[in-house]
Amino acid sequence: MAKQIGADRFGDFYIEGSRVRKRREWRGFVDTMYDYSRWLKIMMTLGKFVMKPRNVKAMFRYRWMANYLAVPMMVDRHTQGLRGEYLRICHEEQDLVIDDVAKLLDSLFRGDRRIGNDKKFSDKVVLVDENEMTAVMMGFPTLKVLSRETPSTYVSVLLNQRAACHYIDVAQEFGLAGDVCPMPEAEAGVSIDDDAPILGACAIQCNTTCDGSLLGNGVISQRLEHEDGIPVFQLAAPLRHREDDVQEYAAQEIRNAIAFVEKHTGVKWDWKAYFECAKRVNYATKCRQEWLEMNRTPYPQVFGSNLALYTETNYMAICGRVPAFEKADRKITKLARQAYAKKKMAAKEYRHRAIVWGVQSHYYMDFLVWLLNCWGIVPLTDMLSMVSTKEIAEVDTPENREQAIYDMAWLTENMIMRNRTHGGYKVLLDELWEFVEMFNADMVILWEHMSCKALDGMHGLFEEKAREKGIPLVWVSHDLFDPRIISRQGVRDQINSFMRTVMQEEPIDPSLEILPDDQSW
Amino acid sequence: MKDLKNLIFFENLLLEANNELVQKAQSEGKVCACYTCENTPEVLLNLDGCFSARLRAPRTGSLDISTYYMTSFLCEYSRALLERAIEGGYNFADCIITPDGCSMMNRCIENMELLKAVGKGKDKFFFEYMEIPMKADDNGLNLYVLQCKNHILKPLNETFGIDTSDAAIRKAVKEHNHICELIRAIGDYRKEENPRITGYEFNVITLATYVAPKYLIVDKLEETLEELKTRQPDDTNRFRARVMVVGSEVDDTDFVKLIEDSGAYVCADRFCYGSLPGRNPIILNDEEDALTQICRQYMMRGECPRFMNTDKMDHRRVYVDELAKEYKADGIIYEQMKFCDPWAYEKMMGSQILRNKYGYPVLAVDRPYSIGTSGQMQTRVQAFVESIEIKKIQRGEANG
Amino acid sequence: MALFLHVLKIIAIVIVALFALTFTVYIFNLDMKLTAAIEPWLLKHYDKIDRDQHL
Repeated sequence: MAKQIGADRFGDFYIEGSRVRKRREWRGFVDTMYDYSRWLKIMMTLGKFVMKPRNVKAMFRYRWMANYLAVPMMVDRHTQGLRGEYLRICHEEQDLVIDDVAKLLDSLFRGDRRIGNDKKFSDKVVLVDENEMTAVMMGFPTLKVLSRETPSTYVSVLLNQRAACHYIDVAQEFGLAGDVCPMPEAEAGVSIDDDAPILGACAIQCNTTCDGSLLGNGVISQRLEHEDGIPVFQLAAPLRHREDDVQEYAAQEIRNAIAFVEKHTGVKWDWKAYFECAKRVNYATKCRQEWLEMNRTPYPQVFGSNLALYTETNYMAICGRVPAFEKADRKITKLARQAYAKKKMAAKEYRHRAIVWGVQSHYYMDFLVWLLNCWGIVPLTDMLSMVSTKEIAEVDTPENREQAIYDMAWLTENMIMRNRTHGGYKVLLDELWEFVEMFNADMVILWEHMSCKALDGMHGLFEEKAREKGIPLVWVSHDLFDPRIISRQGVRDQINSFMRTVMQEEPIDPSLEILPDDQSW
Repeated sequence: MKDLKNLIFFENLLLEANNELVQKAQSEGKVCACYTCENTPEVLLNLDGCFSARLRAPRTGSLDISTYYMTSFLCEYSRALLERAIEGGYNFADCIITPDGCSMMNRCIENMELLKAVGKGKDKFFFEYMEIPMKADDNGLNLYVLQCKNHILKPLNETFGIDTSDAAIRKAVKEHNHICELIRAIGDYRKEENPRITGYEFNVITLATYVAPKYLIVDKLEETLEELKTRQPDDTNRFRARVMVVGSEVDDTDFVKLIEDSGAYVCADRFCYGSLPGRNPIILNDEEDALTQICRQYMMRGECPRFMNTDKMDHRRVYVDELAKEYKADGIIYEQMKFCDPWAYEKMMGSQILRNKYGYPVLAVDRPYSIGTSGQMQTRVQAFVESIEIKKIQRGEANG
Repeated sequence: MALFLHVLKIIAIVIVALFALTFTVYIFNLDMKLTAAIEPWLLKHYDKIDRDQHL
């Protein structure tokens, strides 16, 4: 129980065989009161959500809703050890994401034919993928852009490491091979298990990150189109997104997608709204660049899982459409500047500066917090946060309206993960070493998401390059959504053995080396 | 049945990627354009002065080195190709043209490029990567045409001086269609109740047309077709059921052999490297340029699961149903190369839909790149054949 | 005035009591301990729901 950073033995908070931790952290009076006040706010958000009978009804209908019992714990996992500005930055990000997801759930159940059955509302809903850039919806301010997969699988696994296991098993019972990426596999499982809300005027699917994602959408569209009567547009973003000769194709896909939405909702594209969103996209990019700039110095401020999770939400799912995120960007930047000016650190000791590459384990998103607290490895940035920094046209002129189509296409092509896993080896392999240099990193943590074929396919060349550059590279294998393949401790063990045997180091907090969190949420 | 005269000739062509006809064509000064994916319009690699060879890795053994580079989670086809490339088995290629058909194939070729595993001693050697459409529509067609121009025709013309004019393309289509018509005619004998050609023999002949210069095997194909016209099948049919094989890349003839040795006649081949739809002729009119027409037909007929629009997805199962009826299949074997993501999904979808909606007996299997004489696979096919027989008995079809 | 002070006192007591209660819940993680106890019951309930499982 201490005010000072790093004075606690964090391993002592865990209970063997339990879902939850013994108690919350004492961070000194001011920070504890701040954390408590944010906890109260989260409880109020959740309270407001369960006040509506339809949401309670949904709680008893959809299996994945049980995961939302663990919301406060997700925040605790990400705030472990944080004090001062870092704690505030984390809450700014996490609490906003929680608020956004609560609204998403509420909207889904309002339109869901099984729950709220608000037909008028449902007719204004356009369904999108979980892993889809929503740029194409920036000019439809009166429509509701909802993703069913975000709450059912994506957020669920952040909340509860075993959330997707049931759905993975369902998909495999129907004959799906066990070696495909468990994310689209679980999403397909939700559809097969008849556990997705049914609503919407139409849906836009996208060939998001990988072959698995693309094919998983095929399972989902079977029910959507053939049973639920919800028309689906498949938006095909080119894979070789850095090539000039695919951009016209990408732009035409955007034009077609807009025409599809207009046709099925009766709502016309609104340029004024689009350019408002474009301004916010540019502002978010500017802020992200400033944070990354700080991370190049000895005093990084916005980094780790918070950066990854927030970027993923803000860049891709929000894409300038929600003003609240602009406010959050501003606050986070202000806090980061303050902390930077005071040369503050998030942990008592920084030993290594690491670039985290590859696709991180979703069931262990707070691993980066552990990395910092246990071994003093600072995750300066990660692959999912290294997205497009291109400024898009934000002034409404006839030329910019044409440019906007290409901007939306560019953003869609460069959605999170696919901007690295597709587009040739340069964006995945070569640019990693450019970032290592740019951020003065002395280590690479390379997530090996074992069923991500695009990443696995570069395994040997990553190693060869690391040897050539003399940079220690640590492989951390996992199976994204399925902790039964490699547990959280299995993930940690890979770092522990590397740090002890190769780097010949002792942990900063030895109580974190082995944790009894196998049964934990 | 009497052995086909040219069967050993065709079989020998499949023993090496750099087979005797590839060597012969190259000694005649022709450029060998290698490719790996059915979405590369093969006919464009067969313009005057060059010929296509689809890459295989026959008699694959250890995959140790490629497994180091790409882990054990990538499909064995991509790993086998990389392994063979590292061994120096593809140095005969004058260029490799590949689309980002799937991530694994893309990584395989990228590894070849970064490891400089291909093109040794060939000054003009190049790799080309194409973007190919994922939907069959006008926008996709425009992309396909542009990509073929930029990544096939332009480099072939600029590097090797190949004539890529409309007239040259039309000539290549004509020759290509002749091969397709021969394969179709040979394959039609599979529709007979007691067929005069086995699925294995047909598989060998079809595969040879993908891996050898076409102009050097056309006479052998014509001869085989003539031979088949008078070939007498055995009096009693040794097969207990007729099955159609549907699925991912199969360039290992042992797979079809194993199925037939287990009692099921392979009457139709709807797999990548098969003849359906791979050997559909390309019909050209004189109004539109040949390239656009070729791309349209490749796009419209493509049955690769990477096509993601609903019509295309549904058509994959409709097409299987149509073929099963046309070739009188009693059952369907959905196969997937282990670790192939696209076919992992399509196998699940196809097998469920064909079984539940269309009422076919369906066996879904995954398999390694080289099947050899897998006992497990034999047992599964035998059990499938028995289940088909039982269903026939239950319907009162067996024994008259 | 006395009444006002009395009301104020009651409000203060309620606030302090609420604070004490919620802070105890917060610091000892009682909210999560409660929801962890509810989860198995909910999962059993989901298992009982009839579902139209198909592609």
